[in-house]
Amino acid sequence: MKMDLEQLRKTAAEVVARDDVKYLVGWKQGTYGYRVAPGFVEDAAGAAELIFSPLCTANLATYLTLVEELPIPRGQEPDDRKVAVMVKGCDSRAVTQLIVEKGIKKDEVVVIGCPCPGVVDPNLLAEKYPETEDQVEMKWNGEGFLLLRGGEETKIARDEVLAEKCRLCRYPNPVYSDIMLGDPVEPWETDEDKGVEEVEGKDVEERAEYWAEQFDKCVRCYSCRNVCPLCYCQDCVLDRLNPTWVNRAVNFSENTAFNIARAFHLGGRCIECGECERVCPANIPLGKINRKLAREVRDKYGFEPGVDPDAEPFQASFKPDDPEEFIL
Amino acid sequence: MTEKPKVGVYVCHCGINISSTVDVEAVAEFAGKLPDVKVAKTYSYMCSDPGQTLIKKDIEEHGLNRVVVASCSPRMHEPTFRKAISEAGVNPYFLEMANIREQCSWVHEEIEEGTAKAKKLVSASLAKVRLLEALETTEVDAEPAALIIGAGIAGIQAALDIADAGFKVYLVEKTPSVGGRMAQLDKTFPTLDCSACILTPKMVDAASHPNIELLTYSEVEEVTGFIGNFDVKVRKKARYVDFDKCTGCGDCAAECRVKDRFPSEFDQGMGKRSAIYLPFPQAVPAKYTIDAENCLYLSKGKCGKSPKCQDVCGAGAINFDQEDEMVEFKVGAIIVATGFDPFDASRKPEYGYDDYPNVITGMEMERLVSASGPTGGKIKVNNGEEEIEPKEVALIKCVGSRDASVGNEYCSRVCCMYVAKQAHLLRDKLPDANIRIYYMDVRAFGKGFEEFYDRVRRENVRYIRGNPSEIFKRGNKLVVKVEDTLNSRPLEDEVDLVVLGVGLEPRADMREIMELLRLSQSPDKFFLEAHPKLRPVDTATDGIFLAGCAQGPKDIPDTVAQAKGAAASAMIPLARGKVTINAQVAIVNEATCRGCGYCVNICPYTAIEMITINRFGNEVEVARVNEALCKGCGSCSAGCFSDSIQPKSFRDSQILPQIAALGVMR
Amino acid sequence: MSAEFNPNIVAFLCNWCSYAGADLAGTSRVNYPSNIQIIRVMCSGRVNPLYVMNALQQGADGVLVSGCHPGDCHYMEGNFFARRRLGMLKDLMEFVGVDPKRFHMSWVSASEGHKWKEVVEKTVEDAKEAGPFEGFRRRQIDW
Repeated sequence: MKMDLEQLRKTAAEVVARDDVKYLVGWKQGTYGYRVAPGFVEDAAGAAELIFSPLCTANLATYLTLVEELPIPRGQEPDDRKVAVMVKGCDSRAVTQLIVEKGIKKDEVVVIGCPCPGVVDPNLLAEKYPETEDQVEMKWNGEGFLLLRGGEETKIARDEVLAEKCRLCRYPNPVYSDIMLGDPVEPWETDEDKGVEEVEGKDVEERAEYWAEQFDKCVRCYSCRNVCPLCYCQDCVLDRLNPTWVNRAVNFSENTAFNIARAFHLGGRCIECGECERVCPANIPLGKINRKLAREVRDKYGFEPGVDPDAEPFQASFKPDDPEEFIL
Repeated sequence: MTEKPKVGVYVCHCGINISSTVDVEAVAEFAGKLPDVKVAKTYSYMCSDPGQTLIKKDIEEHGLNRVVVASCSPRMHEPTFRKAISEAGVNPYFLEMANIREQCSWVHEEIEEGTAKAKKLVSASLAKVRLLEALETTEVDAEPAALIIGAGIAGIQAALDIADAGFKVYLVEKTPSVGGRMAQLDKTFPTLDCSACILTPKMVDAASHPNIELLTYSEVEEVTGFIGNFDVKVRKKARYVDFDKCTGCGDCAAECRVKDRFPSEFDQGMGKRSAIYLPFPQAVPAKYTIDAENCLYLSKGKCGKSPKCQDVCGAGAINFDQEDEMVEFKVGAIIVATGFDPFDASRKPEYGYDDYPNVITGMEMERLVSASGPTGGKIKVNNGEEEIEPKEVALIKCVGSRDASVGNEYCSRVCCMYVAKQAHLLRDKLPDANIRIYYMDVRAFGKGFEEFYDRVRRENVRYIRGNPSEIFKRGNKLVVKVEDTLNSRPLEDEVDLVVLGVGLEPRADMREIMELLRLSQSPDKFFLEAHPKLRPVDTATDGIFLAGCAQGPKDIPDTVAQAKGAAASAMIPLARGKVTINAQVAIVNEATCRGCGYCVNICPYTAIEMITINRFGNEVEVARVNEALCKGCGSCSAGCFSDSIQPKSFRDSQILPQIAALGVMR
Repeated sequence: MSAEFNPNIVAFLCNWCSYAGADLAGTSRVNYPSNIQIIRVMCSGRVNPLYVMNALQQGADGVLVSGCHPGDCHYMEGNFFARRRLGMLKDLMEFVGVDPKRFHMSWVSASEGHKWKEVVEKTVEDAKEAGPFEGFRRRQIDW
């Protein structure tokens, strides 16, 4: 690991000290176990709490659009200062895509890039190394991870707990940033997307059954939508009443419609950060749908979202020779 | 608030066109029981006067505020019924038609299935009509002026017509003179009028007309706005000659240090001109222009001790400090009359156009045969060794036309006749020469064409059917290798001069205009008209019209006819002084718009722009539709994730219930 | 033959090409299955891909979207957007287990009355093969 915490905290302190920066969003130690919390830092003291470790799975780019624009009382000026945000490679693609679709403007943010050797899947980790209330520290350690808990050091092989999105990651280094911390990491050989392939391998009826089982579990908590950095409409069509795209009833039919519609809206936009899947309380493999669509878009249309801030949005453009073999 | 819907449903028998396969009474009975339906009736012909009166009376009696007509296609009678209900005081957009004829009774055989489907279609229409909104058409003022791009015969004619009608015309021409391709022609088929003789008076008229502002040596740089209200920016390129002072005497060109060094564009490169030049003697305006690329002083910064043109110009018109000037104005309509390029014969290398000086194009032939041309009208060619008067002449048709190998599958429409005309002119000047024409077909379709073709054949011009495969040199002769396909005989024909009857192609620079005005191309790469039969001078963009060869190959009479058509169409908004804005346009819900700008990217009419609004003290960007530009296609809407932009009459909230109505009765 | 399954097909047609083509099929008295019900929109670009999902949810067994051939769009580009969006939707639906036979897209011009018939026949035939759509169809609740 080339980037040390000291450098990260120093940079963060410098950034928040700037007059044109409102606050900085980074990662900080959570309250117990493997938890990592978003840290909203406004001063040097806050900056000293920031961390960057294999536990920092969360994509903080979502906080750029999640923030509500509260009514401003007459006579007061809106606070136009920038928001600084720390991003991994995948997170930076969310920022880039947000710039493409005007969700944020380049001059409204300070993007601090953190080259990322890959984060852990907290569920996998907890499965193998049961979580306790003790606060832990985790570090990158050569090819693997190092877990520090109660004065004990445990070496963990990378493959054992690496998050699925990281196995498939082609952008470990931020593609867009204002400040880059540490040296870039060497991209690694990516795995085949076995999760998607497994579903693709089924016949259409088996697939229907597979997803029926999954969507049946959905409790429509909307966590996937709320955590998604690219779902940022103030008023989501999927819980609007006029017109009613999806009834509010929680049943298989409406759940499916909700999930299809959300996946479609992410078509050509999803940057595969895997947050939807991570936060799903019903453990629905939402990443598979989004990655499937992302792969189709990449293979068939030669388009990849979130890599070029000046790109034309996929769903708002076309090529005269887009594939049309499915058209009668 | 809109009042509660009270719907009248009218099911048409259409004689027996509908009623033979649809039980119209059953459909009406069914409709009568649906929610909000106050009356449901059938009638033999709803579109007839009594049919319309029936609806109007019901509106009055039952206080109906929405109407469903189940009859033929809305593409047929929607305007009829809109008008009818609006006459009875109901907003014309409170109408929905169920197409139970073209898409039901005429395509299904069994009365059960026809009736069942008709019921579903009616219930879907009812689901929508209940949710429709009242729309008003609005009008905005139109600027009583027109922009015409290109001052060939099409542009000049259109300009004269519009100007004569009393409207201001801005006539913009890229080159230093008006006149275009027609000015280059010698005689015109089939009447053999001298082209210059009939054109120059019009050129002068265009220049002197009080309503025409002629902008030569100028290019349109930017066009924004919409029908009735286009904002135009034109770049007047620097001529380096004071337009007002120049008398056109020509002393400058005669004294130019690089006199007669450069190929004259007007003479197709066969004649030469100086760096300061008048494109041709009858040029309008008769003002000299300095070719900055070739002028010694402008390109190298030095021309002897001092530029000669400046020294000899008695009027003191030479001004090397002149700069491009931007002109801005507003017009209500635009006519694109940018013309064509002759096919570049180098693209058929087998004909040796680049290799042999005595292989020339039809356009070069026009200059060669012209009394004002480089040889003063004498037919002299260089056979590679010497200047000769040709004895054996071959003309080849369809060069670059009807030829998929060069990507031009179309017929250029003028070559048959201009080649015949050139054969006639050659016969005049070379009474003893052997003249033959190689052809695939002869298309003499116009007025007087067939007669002219007959006349030329009687003048001892041989027509040989065959498409030459190659032209090569043998001694001081050219050999045309060809199969005479009428008697299957291969020929090697030795000649002194070959004239390639080149076709017409879209201008090389047409893409600039396409992008400037957002026009489309048809498969032949010429500009695409709005409808090939019924709107041949319109484009898909309201207020922009096409004239002449920019739209496709044409002869002069057709060009003039289209120019007059385009002028007449362009004058409609100018004369009315107002343009009507389509009511079925998209509208943005600014409260939910997230400002992503997808719709701006999608809209092919640039009808949507991002604006900044104040949302409770916060400045936010949202989309806004310019209703005058919007065509109501709705592509923006399907691309909007928050459903914030919606085409009126085709909103999601109006279509989803339609889907539901079709689904529930399966 | 009451046992035969009659699929319910919802079709979205652009006003200028496909709807006119379907009208032409009528004018030319071309016979085709009555399972298909048409919703007219101004442009295939108007068809929100979620309409397809919604139609299946609301009781359709098959969905068809038809527009102008590429390059012929009355609004110049709408069908290109439709092609991209609906192509993506088709991949998505297939992945979540909706039989690809249930959704078709076609280019039918105003002069292709016969092609319209073929498209309808193909759509109906495919929907028949796929059978009644139960999948995520919205349950009707009778109170």
